[in-house]
Amino acid sequence: MKQPLSLKQRLFWWLLLPLVLTVPVGSLALYSLVRDTTLGWLDQGLGDTALALSNFIRTHDGELIVEISGQTDGALRFDRVDHIYYTVIAPQGQLLSGDALLAKPHFQLSPGEWEFRDVELDGETLRLAALGVACGVVGNVCQVRVAETTTKRATLRRDLLLAVGATMVALSVGLVIAGWLAIQQGLRPLGELSREVERRDLDRLDPLEPPVPAEVRPLIAALNRLFERLRFASGAQQDFLANAAHQLRTPLTALRTEIELALLEPHEDTQEPLLQRLKSSVDRSARLAQQMLSMARSDASSPQEALRVLDLRELASHAAEDWVPRALAAGMDLGFELESAPVMARSFLLREMLENLIHNSVSYAGEGARITVRTRVREGHALLEVEDTGPGIAVVDRERALQRFQRGSQAGGNGSGLGLAIARDIAISHGGTLTLADGAHGQGLRVQLVLPLAKA
Amino acid sequence: MRILLVEDDAALAESTSRALRSQGWVVDCTARGEPVPLSLREDRYDLLILDIGLAGIDGFETLRRVRSQGSPIPVLVLTARDGVEDRVRGLESGADDYLVKPFALSELIARARALVRRSQARFSNELKMAGLRMDLDARRAWLHEEPLALSAREWEVLSFMMARIGKVIAKEQIVSASNGWDQSTTDNAVEVCISRLRAKLEPAGIQVRTVRGFGYLLEEQVPVAKA
Repeated sequence: MKQPLSLKQRLFWWLLLPLVLTVPVGSLALYSLVRDTTLGWLDQGLGDTALALSNFIRTHDGELIVEISGQTDGALRFDRVDHIYYTVIAPQGQLLSGDALLAKPHFQLSPGEWEFRDVELDGETLRLAALGVACGVVGNVCQVRVAETTTKRATLRRDLLLAVGATMVALSVGLVIAGWLAIQQGLRPLGELSREVERRDLDRLDPLEPPVPAEVRPLIAALNRLFERLRFASGAQQDFLANAAHQLRTPLTALRTEIELALLEPHEDTQEPLLQRLKSSVDRSARLAQQMLSMARSDASSPQEALRVLDLRELASHAAEDWVPRALAAGMDLGFELESAPVMARSFLLREMLENLIHNSVSYAGEGARITVRTRVREGHALLEVEDTGPGIAVVDRERALQRFQRGSQAGGNGSGLGLAIARDIAISHGGTLTLADGAHGQGLRVQLVLPLAKA
Repeated sequence: MRILLVEDDAALAESTSRALRSQGWVVDCTARGEPVPLSLREDRYDLLILDIGLAGIDGFETLRRVRSQGSPIPVLVLTARDGVEDRVRGLESGADDYLVKPFALSELIARARALVRRSQARFSNELKMAGLRMDLDARRAWLHEEPLALSAREWEVLSFMMARIGKVIAKEQIVSASNGWDQSTTDNAVEVCISRLRAKLEPAGIQVRTVRGFGYLLEEQVPVAKA
């Protein structure tokens, strides 16, 4: 399919078309007008000479005579550029005075009648002005003819052509450039608008409010309505996801409580492992629901809370409240080495990530393990580490452990295989990195989150 | 101890109240928030356990009504939501503690116990835990009804911690609560004080757990299987 012309091209061609049509026609008109006027003035000069000459015709004893002194002749013939010829012809055609050459063309004139024409005489192009003059007997007409060579006229035509041509070319070029600039300038708001629209995603659906010309406002309004609908739809999807995850929690809690009660109440020894397995399945389901929720939230495309300055130390302190009793109950030593480390973060996601990491350690490190949460600033970066003395993850399994729905090959416990993947997603969405390394003394696992330091 | 449990999921209400009763507590159950303020006026309860997601008026509104009639009852909020906003909103509406579903039974019981203890201390000016009793007015303590000798510093630290049973307490919190301590020797002073307290309280079944690099946790053995 042929690509339609761009807006710029369209405007440009439509501006160019009238230019192409009007400039030649206008040039021609201007040229003719100026030429005819100036040539008219030159003809008038010739005519003036002819009129002056007609005053020299006199009647003496019934004879027509024209007396022109040498001085007068010089004055009549004076011109700085062209040769001037003149002649006076009696009614019967005989030469009364001047150049015989001019008498050659035969034509009749009535008294007071003018005739201007270009003539070719003896290989010379001449401009001829002729005037009919009543002379002698009533009804007789003499002719006064004046002619000059056409050097002035040719020069005039050439200069005029050049002047008009150059003016028109300059005008056209000027108009084309001005038109192009005007188009660029006029369409700039559209360019800015499209860049602004380009920057929009599900994360940023606030209405467009660029300063735009009135013509574009309906478009902006339509886009903003579209954004609004999109935001609504995206919000609805988000709410659905959140609700689904939350709704699962109440029945899972009931189930978990029942299992715990069954474990507390007298039961056969053979049922113990079954009940324990049930309990860990329920925990895993609950964790999975929670993690799918946070995974959806950590996806770059989902609407998110705003970034705020947050101290990793505060975050870890809050985690201590919930997790110390749990770790103690699981027979583990959860400790802290906290230094201030401010970052720009979405607190919900970072909290979720830290919970995931601690939960992982509590789940996998095993009874008697030491878990240490560390925050600090190193080399201009904020660091958050969760280190344990558990079995760790073999180097070959580490990359796999960071994939969604993968677990370390020897891992037991009740993780769902999403925790580390989510942690990494969250790290990346905050412009940071998440790496797995050996714990202290080559034992256990150290998960390290490196984030850009917030400007103080 | 008498508890009012507001939970609209029948299965969860059933199992939770059974678990609470297993502690020897009396539990009344309701599925809706509307009658709660009246029930609290008519009967004496020690603790309100309140689910946020209720049919009819929700937990926040119920809590608001309870507080607006001036009831000081300790409230433990249960929620299926984990947003920070919910947590903040819950605590701002007057909840004393907050538990996100699904919770471990042991955690529910421990928190319920700690809440009731803290609120009783507020009214009787007496703190009790296992074999320990502290009379805040008389500034005297007994261990199994035997007078317990405590230095002024030990008294300050122990009463501060007793008011926060079951909660992790940062070392700085203890320091800032104990005014008049020499700042340069504070950390060390706290540690010395804690180790003395630990020795004195151990016989009564009270453990002062150290949270490495953070602070302490006052604990009592909860007679429930570990989660």
